[in-house]
Amino acid sequence: MTFTPLIEHNQAAAAENPARGRLAAYFLSSLFIFLGLAAILLLIVSVTSSPVIRAVLEWDAASPDPAPSLILVFLAEFGIILPLLILGAGIGFIWLGFQMRGRHVTAGHWAHIAAMWLTIGSLILAFLNAVQTLNTKSDTPVNAGAILFPLVAAGGFAALYVWLNNNRWWVFRGQEDYLARETRVAWNMLIPTLAVFVIVAARPLEQTFIRSLTDKRFASQEVPRFVGLENYRSLLGIRLDSVSCRWNEETGACVTRNDGSIRWESIDQGLLEEGYRTVWTIPLPFEARAHALAISSLDDDFLQGIGTTLVFAAISVTLELLIALFMAVTVNSEFAGRGLMRAVMLIPWAIPTVISARLWELMLKDTNAGIINRVLMDLQVIDLPKAWLSDVTLQLPAAIMVDVWKTAPFMALLLLAGLQTIPKDLYEAAAVDGATRVNQFFKITLPLLRPTIGVALVFRTLDALRVFDLFNVLFGRQQLTMATYDYETLVNNQRDGYASAVSMIIFLLIAVFAMIYVRLLNVETE
Amino acid sequence: MSRRRVNDILRRALFNILIFVIAVYALFPFYWAFSTSFKTENEMFHRATYLPQEPTLKNYKYVLGGDTFLVALRNSAFVAGTTSVLSLIVGSFAAYALGRLRFRGRTALLYIVLSMTMFPAISILSGLYSIVRELGVFGTPFALIVTYPVFTLPFTVWVLTSFFKGLPAEIEQAAIVDGATTFQTFRFILLPLTAPALVTTGLLAFVSSWNEYLFALNFTITNPSAQTVPVAIAQFSGIDAFQEPIAEIMAAAMVVTIPLVTLVLIFQRRIVAGLMAGAVKG
Repeated sequence: MTFTPLIEHNQAAAAENPARGRLAAYFLSSLFIFLGLAAILLLIVSVTSSPVIRAVLEWDAASPDPAPSLILVFLAEFGIILPLLILGAGIGFIWLGFQMRGRHVTAGHWAHIAAMWLTIGSLILAFLNAVQTLNTKSDTPVNAGAILFPLVAAGGFAALYVWLNNNRWWVFRGQEDYLARETRVAWNMLIPTLAVFVIVAARPLEQTFIRSLTDKRFASQEVPRFVGLENYRSLLGIRLDSVSCRWNEETGACVTRNDGSIRWESIDQGLLEEGYRTVWTIPLPFEARAHALAISSLDDDFLQGIGTTLVFAAISVTLELLIALFMAVTVNSEFAGRGLMRAVMLIPWAIPTVISARLWELMLKDTNAGIINRVLMDLQVIDLPKAWLSDVTLQLPAAIMVDVWKTAPFMALLLLAGLQTIPKDLYEAAAVDGATRVNQFFKITLPLLRPTIGVALVFRTLDALRVFDLFNVLFGRQQLTMATYDYETLVNNQRDGYASAVSMIIFLLIAVFAMIYVRLLNVETE
Repeated sequence: MSRRRVNDILRRALFNILIFVIAVYALFPFYWAFSTSFKTENEMFHRATYLPQEPTLKNYKYVLGGDTFLVALRNSAFVAGTTSVLSLIVGSFAAYALGRLRFRGRTALLYIVLSMTMFPAISILSGLYSIVRELGVFGTPFALIVTYPVFTLPFTVWVLTSFFKGLPAEIEQAAIVDGATTFQTFRFILLPLTAPALVTTGLLAFVSSWNEYLFALNFTITNPSAQTVPVAIAQFSGIDAFQEPIAEIMAAAMVVTIPLVTLVLIFQRRIVAGLMAGAVKG
């Protein structure tokens, strides 16, 4: 394959045409400044002419209802991200326009990229509008402008792109240094990912954040009120108190329950009236008379859910890593059982979760119809059927068993891909030097696989912290995780505003955790 | 027999037992679904039996009888296929930038991509709903193709980034000396070398889209002809009106899983081998 030597071509063209293209550069510069101004103007016009904003601005002072908050109306209608993006793009274009007056080639390259993405963006807009038109009922008038205008714009941008493709060499001068080129190429290649991020993650999450500041009810027509951080106050209302044990004066010892555990005094009556409930009581060992740390919260179900989720994630991800490593190494070796292992690796994971959760529900039934009980009884491990799904002490182990079954293959596949890139000759060399298989595993496989293990662990852990389907199908409201608590608050309690605040807290918790976790695992981000 | 040999045999036996245990753990539920799919409702709820006592095909007839399930299969294949191909294209661009190029803001961008996996799907459901409406794709398979990247793209980008980083720097330098543009280096030199990672991440993206339920249910609820397999299965009403259609669900699970696993097995062996051979030859 031969590549065009780009830099030489550029230099030759520039040397040939020292003064040409001043007019073209001025034209391009004006075009971009115009585009930038147009974007900003469009934003301002669409905000000021928006019917909902006008309704608030022209609110009749004599009307009995109080005027809705302008900020809330603006946020609900436009959000924060989209106006900022349009404003940013506008300013960027104006800046690029002014840069082009200097006729440096870097500005030309950026203009080239901008023309390409504007073309693609307009085409996508035209396509979406076309799909929308085809989907609407035939009796509504077809809005041809919504398809034609983006198409015409796309044509214009495409022409600009092609023109820049051929002519930017003589319009612009100089040479782009290596770092500037890498920066430009990198941002160019990241634009699709960033677009996806804005559309499917940032904007929906932003709406969740806006709702979390209100008392919105789920699926209700009521106009939500702005409540500020009220929802967060009760979610974050967590306190630590020291409680002593219930003292028996006669025996001079702590009162214990039948199972031998110590009974603790409850927290102050005043706190209970405020709504605090104790979730965990942790005995403190170093006090003469037994004391314990009582962790209480205004929303004890949520705190309990966080605890359940953390325990679940820690145990299941650890087990998954060990099993997945074993699976991946087996499949990657010349071992006879590798074909079987390969099938083993895929089947649990290829069954959709909705089905596999139902399947395990069937298998874990607490009657004779549950096969797990039947097998364990046939093997004489247990005498009587166990209530896997309703016994509180068995619920978490059952959930971990199902989750490990389902997701170890995901990790195994990732690790296998990592193993395949380790050169075979490393092992041959090690074998010649007399290293045993175990030695090879710890000295070659593990260190070289470390980046892949890190990435796999990050994704599996974040997935486990968000676990939803499994707990929802198996336990309903009996055993809540962070995500199922969120769901219950939204769907069963209809508290959309509060559920949104729960979502934001979950997001923040996982974000902080992820930052620390990525550093600890030393996954290279630098 | 020498002590070393005994040790060797013991170790081998232990290894085999471990494989056996894992295989049973992984495959028994699948066997159970298979066996249940041939059972009558009566037998299923009465007592767990290892083999169906009166095997019946009526569950399969129920699943394959109408059009609904076959339409759902086609939709699922279309949605999962398109989503994984798009994620691979978009993700490999991003991963090349993040893994091979030096620029300011790299670390921040990696975290931004990762942040897409930091909230449960339920928390963006209503936000996505209004965006899907806004884009005019509600009730079509495109609603799913637009939204699924929220879970397929982050791991595609991260996994591919770590693979791009693992490739030796010399390859790229040679290409640049030859006068290749950065994009040409990416497309013709680095991308073929990451083939195993591409196949794996593509597969992971495919299966997670194939299995997704929450979005599929909420975004295609109005249009039965746009539903995917998990939604179609969840809406089985069963042969007996008053019983949960578990046996039918298991029959559907077999119809969905067996072709998928077979395909993946063939895909993994043939295509990975082929791609890797191609990459080495250059």
